[in-house]
Amino acid sequence: MAAHPSGALWKSLLHQLWLPALVLAILVLATAGSTSFYFPPATDVLATLWRGLVHGELVSDLAFSLRNIVLGLAIATVVGIGAGLVIGEIPLLRRATAPLLDFARAVPTVAFVPVIILTLGIGSGPKIFLIALGSLWPILLNTISGVHGVNPAVHETARSYRIPWRLRLTKVVLPGALPQIFAGVRIALSIAVVLMVVSEIYGSPVGLGNYILQSGSSFAVPETWAGTVLIGMLGYGLSVLLLAAEHVLLGWYHQRPPRTRRTKPRNEVTPSCSGI
Amino acid sequence: MVTSTTRQRSAPGRAPLTGRARAVGQGRTGLLLLQASTVLLVLAVWAALAAAGFVSSTALPGPGAVFGRFPELFGDGAYWQAVLDTLRGAVTGFVLAVVVGVPLGLVTGTYAAAERSTRLLVDVLRSFPVIALLPVFLLVLGSTPTTKSTVVFIACVFPVFLQAQYGARSVTPMVAETVRGYRIPRLLRFHRVILPSATPSIMTGLRLAATTSVLVAIGVEVLTTLPGIGHEVVQAQQGDASATAYAYIITAGVIGYTINLLSQVAERRLLRWRPPAHTD
Repeated sequence: MAAHPSGALWKSLLHQLWLPALVLAILVLATAGSTSFYFPPATDVLATLWRGLVHGELVSDLAFSLRNIVLGLAIATVVGIGAGLVIGEIPLLRRATAPLLDFARAVPTVAFVPVIILTLGIGSGPKIFLIALGSLWPILLNTISGVHGVNPAVHETARSYRIPWRLRLTKVVLPGALPQIFAGVRIALSIAVVLMVVSEIYGSPVGLGNYILQSGSSFAVPETWAGTVLIGMLGYGLSVLLLAAEHVLLGWYHQRPPRTRRTKPRNEVTPSCSGI
Repeated sequence: MVTSTTRQRSAPGRAPLTGRARAVGQGRTGLLLLQASTVLLVLAVWAALAAAGFVSSTALPGPGAVFGRFPELFGDGAYWQAVLDTLRGAVTGFVLAVVVGVPLGLVTGTYAAAERSTRLLVDVLRSFPVIALLPVFLLVLGSTPTTKSTVVFIACVFPVFLQAQYGARSVTPMVAETVRGYRIPRLLRFHRVILPSATPSIMTGLRLAATTSVLVAIGVEVLTTLPGIGHEVVQAQQGDASATAYAYIITAGVIGYTINLLSQVAERRLLRWRPPAHTD
């Protein structure tokens, strides 16, 4: 992006922004003065959101939800990458665990929500556990496939030079698997947000999920929409943060010409691809 | 060159065994034995954990108790009804998502201007956790099967749309120039050029969406009173029958696993004419 002359940058921004701006404008205009009970004016929703954030009734909910997501995702990332490196490095282990892990990933974690919350309580511990459990599988599986996908020639070279295992791990295996790992974390993030919402709607005294449930069941419609919009912004904000981290850590990877890439960034339209 | 490496990665079980790999497992039976013993080991650890009492039996019943529930459930009409209810909601939403998402994705992927214009909007909407819309839908539509299918539809339409878009963009410039040079009519171009080259990517999208559809359907059932697997889990757990709850969870896992296997088979059959370039 930085390589663009600023004129081109503005032009590309304009290209990308006109439709979202148009949609927003249509939403505002179409609902202006709306008397429909379910679709209050968009300006009302935004005002409610702003009030909630400034006066702090939404802030504690937001903090609670955000903390659960970040902690759960952090646990899943550490465990997933750690276990994934081990399983990916040992071919026997990788082949032995493959069907089991595929099955584990196919089990919908949302079904665990009632079981865990009804037995372990409505505090934040069980929620963090659920988020970590759901986010673990994509990270673990992608780490395994990333480690496995490191070019065998690179592996053999590292081995024949007798590179110590610690150095090999940090300089060969981990960087080689990083693009895949990031793809996994990206999937995990969307799962984490869903589990955050479900676990809080299912049973929680605080949190954004609880906020939209409470306001929805007491027919405070602008509040429900405001909470929903805030959750959407939270999801988008976190994914943008993740993308930024990816750009910092994987700059070397995206700068390579596409032909030499081993994998493509999965179903992702990253800003770096905009020129291609 | 690129495809051959992807293929090896994508289907490790089918890839030709390298020297190292051959030394590891003695053919297919050895591997199967190994995998079976891993499953048994995990079951044993599960049983030991449940027996040791670190975790209360309501949170984690033993595998014996859980699998012992299946014979009774299989004979129970309510069990099959729940499975059917979940699948109905999932399939309705999924089919709608395909019908809407694939054409839109192909069109926006073909024209660069359309892709640029929709990018930010789609990015924002896609990262929106659909399940958060549930309270709103419950207000507007009520607790009906329509709500379930609608939520599933919204969750599935984005992976399908994005993969179709990605696939349409993967038409190589040379092919695109040739099509332009011969003034191929637009409809023929979509049908014969863009659709075939986008198919691998679309299949990936369908696979993602199929898994998502069941997940979201169950999520909706957990949070509402709509019948289905998710609802049965809640009922069982509230009735202190956590073994039954786990049996339903495993059922959900089997459904998800089966969908994954089926879509892989479908992908391989449909794309037999070309190497699987977009699988992962």
